[in-house]
Amino acid sequence: MNFVDLLMLGFSEALTPTNLGFCLLGALLGTLIGVLPGIGPTATIAVLLPITFYLPPLAGLIMLAGIYYGAQYGGSTTAILVNLPGEASSVVTAVDGYKMAQQGRAGSALAVAALGSFFAGTVATFGIAIAGPTLSSFALSFGPAEYVSLMLFGLLAATILARGPVLKAIGMILLGLLLGMVGIDASSGEERLTFGAVELFDGIDFVVIAIGLFGFAEIIENLENVEARGILVSKLSRLWPTREDFRRAWPAVLRGTGVGTLLGVLPGGGATLASFCAYSVEKKVSKRPQEFGDGAVEGVAGPEAANNAGAQSSFIPLLTLGIPSNNMMAMMLSAFIIHGITPGPTVLATQPEIFWGLVASMWIGNLMLVVINLPLIGVWVKLLTVPYRLLYPAILLFCCVGVYSINNRIFDVALAAGFGLLGYAFRKAKCEPGPLLLGFVLGPLLETNIRRALTISHGNPSVFVERPISLVLLIATAGVLLLMILPSFRKTREEAFQEEEA
Amino acid sequence: MASPNKAGGTGDRPDLFTAALFIGFGALGLWAGRDLTLGTASAMGPGYLPRIVSWLLIIIGAAIGGFGAVRARVDIARPKLWPLAIILAAVIGFAFIAEFFGFVAASVWLLLVGSLADRDSRLREVILLTAGLTTFGALVFIIGLGVQMPIWPF
Repeated sequence: MNFVDLLMLGFSEALTPTNLGFCLLGALLGTLIGVLPGIGPTATIAVLLPITFYLPPLAGLIMLAGIYYGAQYGGSTTAILVNLPGEASSVVTAVDGYKMAQQGRAGSALAVAALGSFFAGTVATFGIAIAGPTLSSFALSFGPAEYVSLMLFGLLAATILARGPVLKAIGMILLGLLLGMVGIDASSGEERLTFGAVELFDGIDFVVIAIGLFGFAEIIENLENVEARGILVSKLSRLWPTREDFRRAWPAVLRGTGVGTLLGVLPGGGATLASFCAYSVEKKVSKRPQEFGDGAVEGVAGPEAANNAGAQSSFIPLLTLGIPSNNMMAMMLSAFIIHGITPGPTVLATQPEIFWGLVASMWIGNLMLVVINLPLIGVWVKLLTVPYRLLYPAILLFCCVGVYSINNRIFDVALAAGFGLLGYAFRKAKCEPGPLLLGFVLGPLLETNIRRALTISHGNPSVFVERPISLVLLIATAGVLLLMILPSFRKTREEAFQEEEA
Repeated sequence: MASPNKAGGTGDRPDLFTAALFIGFGALGLWAGRDLTLGTASAMGPGYLPRIVSWLLIIIGAAIGGFGAVRARVDIARPKLWPLAIILAAVIGFAFIAEFFGFVAASVWLLLVGSLADRDSRLREVILLTAGLTTFGALVFIIGLGVQMPIWPF
């Protein structure tokens, strides 16, 4: 089948009433949680994961993907109107977007953000469609040694691109790997690290960890902090950019799309990294850098295009190589696994409707999001007035039902509560829980491949440097580590993240 | 821990706490895996990689602790035990009640007790919210999605 046939197959799958419905549901939910501060896409997807078990595979994946990129649209609304970024990825949008709103240009900023996101989403969708088959045919030649090197590279690079201290992130990955080893060892049948608990023989369920670390811990943390409240500025006037704004925004959208698509593919990349990189790019190339921070339309257009492009292109490594690049993709991986599908090159060959259906749904979802966000903006703004005390009981209930429904046992809920406590402790220790999740999902895959590679080579570790692809990946890993030790790079990295947090 | 950053001296408390957690989990991993077969590199037993990972975790933890000990003093944000204890109690109670008395009782417990965690909660709102969410949950999760849980205690 050629490219057009495959794309047609994708659209015919994505356009069935069920899939269309779940695409809309995902886009709506994504916008909702994007608008509401205090609930992020990670927690939402963790809560909804057990529910996707009851849905057809493609419908579940379409919905979860919709939540992720939908949150990028919703997040910008809150950032622009009330200076409260709904998501980490729209932190930089708030800088210039809110200023624009104060100057009475809120409509212009919202429109630029939504249209820029749509354009970026379209380009990134095509990016996946083109990169998918190419990369996965390449990945078919991968042996265990290549996979080990690829995963090591991915895990280490992810720690550097993620925010926070690198050593802590590496520690969190190791802890995730250790947690992934709990249960019966696949090759020997021996149970390990279970402390004799029968409930742990099958290993710890991904949902238990995700809901504990991201659901419960986040609720507890939000309740501790005094509610941050923004003030809604002025009424919305015209919802269309002025000619001047339009002229200045479109090159920024193009650049943001490029930056976002590239950074989304990198391990640890994704929406957040993409948006703040795009902001610094815009500031650098602008002829009027002094306007940034004071309502420059480029400062909204670039990052908004970038976060949407990044959210979508981060699906590329997962769908083609089977390797998740950030914690969102780790969730998506387990959504595949719930249905017994292992994403990677073979899915593309044996179940093309899954890959192409998902890709087509992303474009449809983006189209829906423009409609959901622009004409209906008033509805979402009203939602901002819902206080957290009415929200968190609902999240709590969904979390509990979700965890209980995995195996219908008390043990899982208690264990999730334990992970909630652990997640809370890690927040106090200023450790980001994301890398732990990445280590946890990649752990079993990494262990199987290390064992395989070394069994084939009779225990000789040189197998990792003798195979050319593996060698290149290991050199890249060493290079990344070296970069971290260089003081000048560390300084730029810290500055970049400080800018994001400011 | 009363005056953050001003007390002077050294010791980055969040880092020291991280170190304690990492070293603790690493040691726990070593202890739990002490009886596992190690095997050799070409035929790894189940204990081979857990032991390596546990040691790496201990080393990383020690490094973080070492750097943290000499850095300027930073205190840990003061924990508030009330929301923490309430949420955990509500969640664990939910599991036990769901097992023996069904969804409605468990959901009511979770939402009523959970609402205590936020001091802004108002009684009227909490009651309405509990009724609404419990009905919604029973209809969507148990009837709609077929989660295996009785609705009523009888």
